[in-house]
Amino acid sequence: MHRRSFLRGLGGIAVALPTLEIMLNNHGDAYADGTGIPKRFLVVFGGHSLGADGDPLHNLYVPDKVGPDYDLKTALAPLAAVKSDVSVVSGLKIPWAAENGGTIPAGGRSDDFHIQSLNPLFTGMRSVAEKNRKLNGPTADHVVAAVNATDTKFKTLNYQVQAGWYLAVSAPYGRDIMSCKLDSTGKLVEVPATISPRAAFDGLFTGFTGTDPLAVEKAAFELKKRKTILDLVRGNSERLMPKLGKVDQARLQRHLDEIRDLERRIASIPPTVTDVCKKLPDPGADPPLGGNNESTGGASGFDVSKGYSNEEARAKLMCDLVAMAFACDMARSGTLMLTMAQSHMNMHPLIAVPYDMHEVGHAMKTPDMSRGIAWHVKQFAYLVQKLGATPDGAGKLLDSSALVYLNEGGHGYDPEGKKDNSAHSTDRMAALIAGRAGGLKPGKHIVAAGKHPVNVVNSAMKAVGVDKNLGEVVGVIPDLFT
Amino acid sequence: MRVRSLVRLPAAWTAAIALAATGAACTMGRIGNGDGSDPNKPGGTTEAAVDGVGKMGMRRLTRKEYDATISDLLFENTSNGFTALPEDVRDPFDNDFTTQNVSGALVDAVETLATNAALRALGKTDVRSKLVTCTPTGPGDAECLKTFIRSFGKRAFRRPLADDDVERYAALSALAVEGKDFWVGVECVIRAMLQDPRFLYRVELGSPIDGRPGVFKLDDFEIGTRLSYFFWGTTPDDALLDAAERGELHTAEQIRAQASRLLESPRARERIHRFHALWLGYEQLPHDPALTLAMKKESSALIDRVVFDKKLSWFELFKSTETYLDTALATHYGLPAPSGGAGWVNLTGTPRKGLLSHGSFLSVAGKFGDTSPTQRGIVIRTRLLCQDVPPPPPDANVDEPPAATATSKCKYDRYAMHRTGGCATCHTRLDPVGFGLEQFDQAGKFRTEESGLPECKIAGEGNLTETGNFKGPGELGDRLIESGLLEHCLVTQVYRFAMGHRERPEDAPYLDSLGKGFKSSGFRFDTLLLDLVSTEWFLYRREE
Repeated sequence: MHRRSFLRGLGGIAVALPTLEIMLNNHGDAYADGTGIPKRFLVVFGGHSLGADGDPLHNLYVPDKVGPDYDLKTALAPLAAVKSDVSVVSGLKIPWAAENGGTIPAGGRSDDFHIQSLNPLFTGMRSVAEKNRKLNGPTADHVVAAVNATDTKFKTLNYQVQAGWYLAVSAPYGRDIMSCKLDSTGKLVEVPATISPRAAFDGLFTGFTGTDPLAVEKAAFELKKRKTILDLVRGNSERLMPKLGKVDQARLQRHLDEIRDLERRIASIPPTVTDVCKKLPDPGADPPLGGNNESTGGASGFDVSKGYSNEEARAKLMCDLVAMAFACDMARSGTLMLTMAQSHMNMHPLIAVPYDMHEVGHAMKTPDMSRGIAWHVKQFAYLVQKLGATPDGAGKLLDSSALVYLNEGGHGYDPEGKKDNSAHSTDRMAALIAGRAGGLKPGKHIVAAGKHPVNVVNSAMKAVGVDKNLGEVVGVIPDLFT
Repeated sequence: MRVRSLVRLPAAWTAAIALAATGAACTMGRIGNGDGSDPNKPGGTTEAAVDGVGKMGMRRLTRKEYDATISDLLFENTSNGFTALPEDVRDPFDNDFTTQNVSGALVDAVETLATNAALRALGKTDVRSKLVTCTPTGPGDAECLKTFIRSFGKRAFRRPLADDDVERYAALSALAVEGKDFWVGVECVIRAMLQDPRFLYRVELGSPIDGRPGVFKLDDFEIGTRLSYFFWGTTPDDALLDAAERGELHTAEQIRAQASRLLESPRARERIHRFHALWLGYEQLPHDPALTLAMKKESSALIDRVVFDKKLSWFELFKSTETYLDTALATHYGLPAPSGGAGWVNLTGTPRKGLLSHGSFLSVAGKFGDTSPTQRGIVIRTRLLCQDVPPPPPDANVDEPPAATATSKCKYDRYAMHRTGGCATCHTRLDPVGFGLEQFDQAGKFRTEESGLPECKIAGEGNLTETGNFKGPGELGDRLIESGLLEHCLVTQVYRFAMGHRERPEDAPYLDSLGKGFKSSGFRFDTLLLDLVSTEWFLYRREE
């Protein structure tokens, strides 16, 4: 009997299967010998630059040694256990307007740092205008998903660790958005990430019911209810559509798109429960929200008990969920935002400084900042280690994965403040790339002088079989494959 | 703000400075003005008014509205939507539908919330019997289920369901049969209705007007819904739905009568408190819960007295020489405690007068853990005068407080940079407004010298360019009233709150006629609200 029809007969509920079934991967299209194993793609982001304002020390991030067995300074120290799985690409840069006669160059930004750097970093497109913070093209997770993840439960996984903006006097205004897709009408739509680990857990593990026949039956009936209800909701939306004006039709169409996506996720066949793909322990309620601070630190108005919602625990949970989603083949593409751009997360609980992450870069020195960066790198290392330890076919998940770690800035000239040695710079940027998908050969430090961070993203996309240029940034970093 | 250099400026900024150089000052025009519309154009005749009626689109329930609506529909008091639904943009109101986005996170949360709400409601026998008035004969009792679909559907969709709609929902009865439980059908109907776009969005269709393409007259149910969400922030009650069903929400008089009824309720008071709190920015305060509550109570009590109990001129909010304090807040302010633990306190002889001297308002717009004269100036100009304040130039450092000078650490001296060169263009219209409030710290306490800097005496003297000098919040209120701009700005802000979007050029005549009515009523706030809902702009819509 075909595995799919067998599962459908059970009402689409995950059940433990005999070993023979484990020989198949969860998509029913790959065998344990590794042929046809799906490829996984993830962009991880940290809202920090590499060095502090006014400090001639550019970073403690880029190794001195080029090539394999590179040295680990403060910021990359957490990579120690996974160094052979991760490559460091340094010398990267997002170009800006002032060095291009005042015109925003291809894949570049205007001179303003915080608002303008994210678009070229995540889309490879040039920013359209000064003060425009919008992502100006689809992001890599969606470009990859359109090719690799047409049939998985989640087209893309989009998770976020930093639980709030944390600065009372302002709001993120896009600094929490790293994913953007084209909707069914061809318009760009921002995709906000799931912030609640609880919601992420529930979204992932619906349908994992174990083997108790009563529980299986109950879950099957609940699934049928959801499908029937959503079918009715969708039908009612479609009937409403022609009665509306054009602008309202576009609004409802967006809503309808998301209902269809939810229907598709529910209808997707739950994965086979195996020793590898299984429901994680219930995480319970989310860690409580830490509340906002009045200032960015170092002064009154900064309460070290606020601005932090146990992101340490949240990060671990989110990484566990990403790894399990990959292991169960529920997703093949995604993003993970550790901290928002210009992150106002209080760093006191993590590195014992009375500042938020953004202010560490402005008020402290590069060695202090590097300890804050190391907290981010530690989460990336944890995920890499997890994927490296998870069996997948005859190998490990990491063998079929390409993970990129991007961050907000480098260190150097700031065309906005017209200063050197600034944290507000997209010069001297770096990126990490992990995994062995598509012939990636990790474990070395590559100096790619003048290349764009998106060249690293392009390399990861190529590694998972999507040989495309993201936005206007052309080409890969060939050394990553040799 | 410390400016690093002033070499390269964006076009808008350069234009602002150029205007100033020619004597036209920093561009802080009234928002919505300058569109070429004639403020003297008569708005009185129905035909002219209908021609000018504004655009309106589908408005999604805000988190606040969602929770109030669910609470009313299912006889409970829930705030689950507030934590599960994506955050609403506040600018300053939370209900601007043009800023609402749809995302997977929204649709997921709506499904989960609907499921949980249905299970919660059906878990309570008293709620069950309120929701379903018939006694089911068995799991497949389609008639009883249809009775429920009609009654709950009318409340959830804020209008009666068409027969074919009832039939489609009744098909969920099959699940009740399969589950061998009538209540499974009820559960599924609730879950489906709470995900239906006609519940989540306030869909307005209305009927087209001959010869006026794109203009629609709202039907009575749609008007009832507008009234209810405006005055109460929630779904229409049975009285409104019944009036709509009888066709008695049609004429200006009928609508005004229903609106007056809604205004009588404590729910309207809560709503008007929230309007003021969102508008002036004190809806969320950075203090501990007890102090926050006391401050909000102080402001709410004054609003109640002026708007509802004594029906005074709305300007009394800025002039009142009495304020409502509890012992803790009186102690916080350094005022004598009211007798009986809480009550009205006479402020004569103190530096306090009116709403602008409340801890609530004075706690807004802090920065760097201190008051910010600039931020306070921006709040006064944008919120109370409805003026646009251009953003700072890109090379201004707004991340750090203005630094001490070589000779002084005092704040007034530290802000001296703002009073020279290009900075002065805008800051002379901002900082002096804030400096007039400097004798009150960012928690609303009175002070005459800077914290930790006894050599820095605080004069607390300010200036509003339009009407002159002032000292303290009471006199600022006087200057704002004298400017004539405050009353128009209030009308504009009420309009934004009522309609869920910023005014557009075509709305200018409406705002002007509302402003005239407000003035001739002696600035009665309740009259303004009743006028707003009984004019053509509220009864018609133009398709976007």
